[in-house]
Amino acid sequence: MIAVQGVSKTFGHFGARRVQALDAVSLGVRRGETLGLIGPNGAGKTTLLSCLLGFLRPDRGAITVDGKPPDDLSVRARTGYLPERLGFDRDLPGGAFLAFHWRLAGGARSRAKAEVEAAADRVGLERPALARPLRGYSRGMLQRIGLAQALFRDPELLFLDEPASGTDPRGVALVRERILEAKARGATIVLNSHQLAEVEKVCDRVVFIESGRLTQSETLRGDQATRRRGLVRVPAAGLAAATAALSREGFEPTADPYGSLRFPVGSDDEMARAIRALALAEIPVYEAKASADLEELFSGRGGP
Amino acid sequence: MIEMVRRYLRQKYGSPGFLIALGTLALIETFFFAMGSGERFAIVQVAILVLAAGSVSRDVSSGALQMILSRPIRRTEYLFGRYVGILASYGLFLAVTSGLIFLVVHLAKVNAREDASPLSLALLAGEAFANGAFQAAILLMFSTFLPGIADLLGLLVLYVVLHLPPGKSAWLRDAADAARENLLPQVSWNEALRGDGILGSATGRWVFALTVYLVLAAVIFSRRELPYGQD
Repeated sequence: MIAVQGVSKTFGHFGARRVQALDAVSLGVRRGETLGLIGPNGAGKTTLLSCLLGFLRPDRGAITVDGKPPDDLSVRARTGYLPERLGFDRDLPGGAFLAFHWRLAGGARSRAKAEVEAAADRVGLERPALARPLRGYSRGMLQRIGLAQALFRDPELLFLDEPASGTDPRGVALVRERILEAKARGATIVLNSHQLAEVEKVCDRVVFIESGRLTQSETLRGDQATRRRGLVRVPAAGLAAATAALSREGFEPTADPYGSLRFPVGSDDEMARAIRALALAEIPVYEAKASADLEELFSGRGGP
Repeated sequence: MIEMVRRYLRQKYGSPGFLIALGTLALIETFFFAMGSGERFAIVQVAILVLAAGSVSRDVSSGALQMILSRPIRRTEYLFGRYVGILASYGLFLAVTSGLIFLVVHLAKVNAREDASPLSLALLAGEAFANGAFQAAILLMFSTFLPGIADLLGLLVLYVVLHLPPGKSAWLRDAADAARENLLPQVSWNEALRGDGILGSATGRWVFALTVYLVLAAVIFSRRELPYGQD
């Protein structure tokens, strides 16, 4: 659905303070896929998102959405977008802001009020808040109302830039639920977030961007999963024995100082085999899980 | 486009700061008009600077424009919606100010002037509107690529450059005159609105220059990139 081919983007002119924001990035996003963009600050994630939305033109390379340029109006009619920072008319009441976006999205004026209220309910924004100007909104409320406008008319394409930034734990869970809902109805989602645990919960695939380059791509779900890490926590005294038991089964565990062992696993069955090996060796297992462990992916690259 | 116009009106007339600024200008104009001093409708023309400055650039820097353009909206639709919004808000302001002057001069019987008839006031408002529309087009053009309210500086520089002494050379003088006449044409709107010379060369140059500024604004804006960070 989305094809990015050899995209490069540089900011600055005449050699002074030139910043290579993207360097020959190529990737594809399949219809219905949820792709996570991860990487350190300044890596080029937001620049890539801006190119995908057609706000920035690549210096080299091309981006198409279903074969069309990303700023084609037919593409935009199917797009929902939540920016990292909601910058809008500060004196505008929240309800008027949502009604404006509802109408821009092609919604009928007669249905605006009902749709605005339904959208507010979906993101847990209380009705009285709709009458208040955006200047009085907290960061979390701005994120919620931003998400509400992005989800208008059930877009096929969703671009979310740090959607849960500044929200409380309930807000984080709510954002996750709305993303999973969009995913369930078949939306194609591109998510830029530093909240790795959330990325892991909703994304089918992640790409790691570093200094403008796409350095790694990992599939997190399904039979094609390329990144699964087993994690078991055992008593510190049993760490050596657990390492030996797992090694005998063909795993390659590495221990951390807190009594945990991490090792690549290919499937859930392999994870079950690892747990059985520990049980047979009579080593108590306090915790066991298989996940993409994106934190580990990050830790070797300078952290989030 | 209508959504853009509505948003512009809401932005300006929903902001206490703008309301105070416009109200102050209207009161000062009414005072000088009623006292029979000062240039006619000279003060209210400052309002176009208040209303039009930074009309596009502020949306770019706040990120509001990126959100709007993620919708199925053409850039030109947004841009000309802004322009029509400026004209609508300025027209509303001129109508309210003219009404206020009429009320003060006639109903309150404050030093009634000969030129305070409804027709005279309408002609003055029309003249101010035409001048405002022209300045708004220049500001809009500068606002498509200059940050913040630097479009005001652009307008000032344009006026200063086109009014610099041309030097002694005859061809330089001719070139400067031609540039001034074509880029900042002067139209006697009071006469033109009465029907005198409405199809004259000055009005034609005015229409041409206005079109040039708007087309330039559209060309620059349609090619402009809209970053909101370099992450």
